[in-house]
Order: sequence, then structure tokens, then C-alpha cells
Amino acid sequence: MKSSESPSNDAVSEVSAWVLRIGVVLSTLVMLLGIALTFSRGRISVARIKSDPFNYHPSAIWAGILRGEGKSIVEAGIYLLLFTPIMRVFASFLVFAFHDRDRVYAIITIIVFLLTLAGLLWIG
Amino acid sequence: MTDAAQSILWLGEVAGASLIGGILGSISGLGGGIVIVPVLTIFMHVRIEQAIGASIVSVIAVSSGAGSVYVKDRITNVRIAMFLEVSTAAGALLGAGYLAGHINPGALYILFGVLLLVSLIPIFAKLGEELPQNVHNDRLASALRLNSSYFDKHLGRDVAYQVTGIPWALGIMFAAGVISGVLGIGAGVVKVIAHEVAMKVPTKVSTATSNFMIGVTAAAGAGVYLRRGLVLPYMVVPVAVFVLIGAFLGTLIMEKMSNSLLRKIFALILAVVGIQMLLRGIGGHE
Repeated sequence: MKSSESPSNDAVSEVSAWVLRIGVVLSTLVMLLGIALTFSRGRISVARIKSDPFNYHPSAIWAGILRGEGKSIVEAGIYLLLFTPIMRVFASFLVFAFHDRDRVYAIITIIVFLLTLAGLLWIG
Repeated sequence: MTDAAQSILWLGEVAGASLIGGILGSISGLGGGIVIVPVLTIFMHVRIEQAIGASIVSVIAVSSGAGSVYVKDRITNVRIAMFLEVSTAAGALLGAGYLAGHINPGALYILFGVLLLVSLIPIFAKLGEELPQNVHNDRLASALRLNSSYFDKHLGRDVAYQVTGIPWALGIMFAAGVISGVLGIGAGVVKVIAHEVAMKVPTKVSTATSNFMIGVTAAAGAGVYLRRGLVLPYMVVPVAVFVLIGAFLGTLIMEKMSNSLLRKIFALILAVVGIQMLLRGIGGHE
């Protein structure tokens, strides 16, 4: 083993790559499903594309999904995409904390995770 | 024009811009907003805030899509990314949560533009260089084990590298975070500059690592755009899908490219974005 490449880097890279792959594929499928559902009920005009706002409240999105609304499913897909990098950071934290037992990097990743979550959910 | 024809034309324009944005973004580590924002605003008359909202989502798509490839191929330095993300995320929160209402965006655009154009100088100085020479770990880099190696498909061999200039890189990353928090842009260019100029890592590692990081910064910044209703769901989907296709194509190209060619492409983009930012600052936002 080369001194420059520790096995821990490998575990965290492997897990990160998988989280990113799953997030991208899943969010794309959900977004396309939402679009397909919207189209099945009539076309989307350019004017509507430019004006239909994002209903960002999770409860509103959930209610829309239960009603089978395409737009709510699209919004859920966008949320999945937005959460993909954050889940990647959280998964790295788990690897550093419990697989590698690397305290320094576990602390670094949990700080990044909390700051990013705060930005997405509350601040600004 | 009929409604249907109009919609198809619209989709075609979005698809084209997003595809090119995705390719360029994943090659250069910058996301893709540099292509998508101008096309959406100038040709398609989307409001700049909504175009930036779409571009933030596209940055996350490029970062995740291309990132999954670069991380798997070990070009991304995950430790560098994680460590520097603390600095960027703190800067982004300060920018979005506090500074956004208190500083003049025009002045910040000008400052940003000047910063980019000035950083062209050290990049020009080593424009033809394939790999950085005589770089040794500084103390923080050794303590955090930031040095690593990757397999270079262009050179056909493993490239081991060391990392320097960590205090500088932390400062630059903080600035990158503040800029993206206030202006709502990924500021991937600034990240590449920190990797390339301050830390002196090979160019491929530098672009792959900033590609990996911009997704996190963008996700932190995306909340503001969601809450202000600036992310249009039906616009975001085609952008995200085509940007992803572009991002995967970009990874195929980037890994086979030489570091010096990649640096030349980056320098060109840097010049364009620098001038774009200066003009936006002088012209009052657009």
C-alpha cells in the first residue's frame, strides 16, 4: 500500500459515489414521472413553465402527491436532487465515524452536514 | 407560432444550453451556470433570479452526476473537499444569512470579476505545465493527510501529489462561500483557483474536487431560492435532465484530456466569467 492512499479514503469514496449515483437516478426518475403525469392531463404552455411557482412546504408537496398531482411529484424529485449532496456528506460522516474511526474527519463532516442543512432549510 | 411549436422550440433551446453547460461544467469543475444563466436570460427572457434558481439546481445535478464518476475513479480528493467545505459552508451561511441585505451586490460583482482576472496571472505562468513540480505538504496538509494519488488516463500512469498552501486555500474558500451566499452563484471558479493556485494540486484533481464541493455549497444556497419562489419546477426538470447527460459526457472527455489542455480551457472560462462579472457589476446586475 502506498503511504499516500489510505484504505479509509477508499471506503468513503466508494460510499460517496454510490450515494451520488442513487440520488441522481432516483431524483431524475421521480421528476420525469411528475412531468409524464402532468402531460397526461394536458400540455404545459411556456407561460405556465415561466410562472408556476415551487410549493416548497413538504406538507403541501405531500398533500399534492396524495392527490396525484404531477407538479408535486416534480417538486419531490427536485428536493431529492437537492438533498443528494447533503446525504453524501452524511454518509461520509457515518463512514468516518463508524468504519474508519477517524475522529477528526468525522467532526469535519458533521459540521459541514449541519451547516449545509441549516442553509437549505432555514437561513436566508 | 402555434403553442406546440413554441413549446418544442423552448425545450430545444433549454436542452441545448443545458447539454453544453453540463459538458463544460463537469470538465471544468464549475457547474454549468456560466452557460445556462446567460442563455435563459438573454435568449429566453427568463428573469435573472429565476435563471439563477435553475442554475443552482443544475450545479447540484452536475456535481452529483459527474462527481459519482470522478469519485469512483479516485480523481476527486475527498479529504481536501471535506476539509475545505467547512470554510465554504461557513462563508455561504454568513453571506446568505447576514451579508446579503447589507452589502451592495454591484460592488461584490466587481470585486469578484477583478479577483478572477487577477488569478489568471499565476495560471498563465504555468499554462503549459503538465504536473506541478516540487510541491511539498505543509504542516496542515500532513496532519490531515491531504496528499494522495490518482490514475491519469492521459499519461497512462499513477500520479502521486502533495498539497501546500492550506491557510491560503481556507481563506479563498471562505471568500468563495461568501460570494455564493450573497450572489447566489456557485463560485466554482474560485474553488478551482484555491486548488490550482494556492494548493498546487494537479489540474484534474483540482477540477474534480471543486466539482465535488460545489454541490454542497449550492445545496446550502438553494434554500433561499426555494423559499422565495425562484425555482420554477417545470423549468428545472429539462435543465436538470440535459445537464446530467452533458455531465456524464464531460467526464468521458475530461479523464482522457491532458492537464495542460484542461488548464487552458479553465483559463479561457475564467477570463469570460471575470469579464461577465465585471460587466454585471458595472451595468447594475444584468
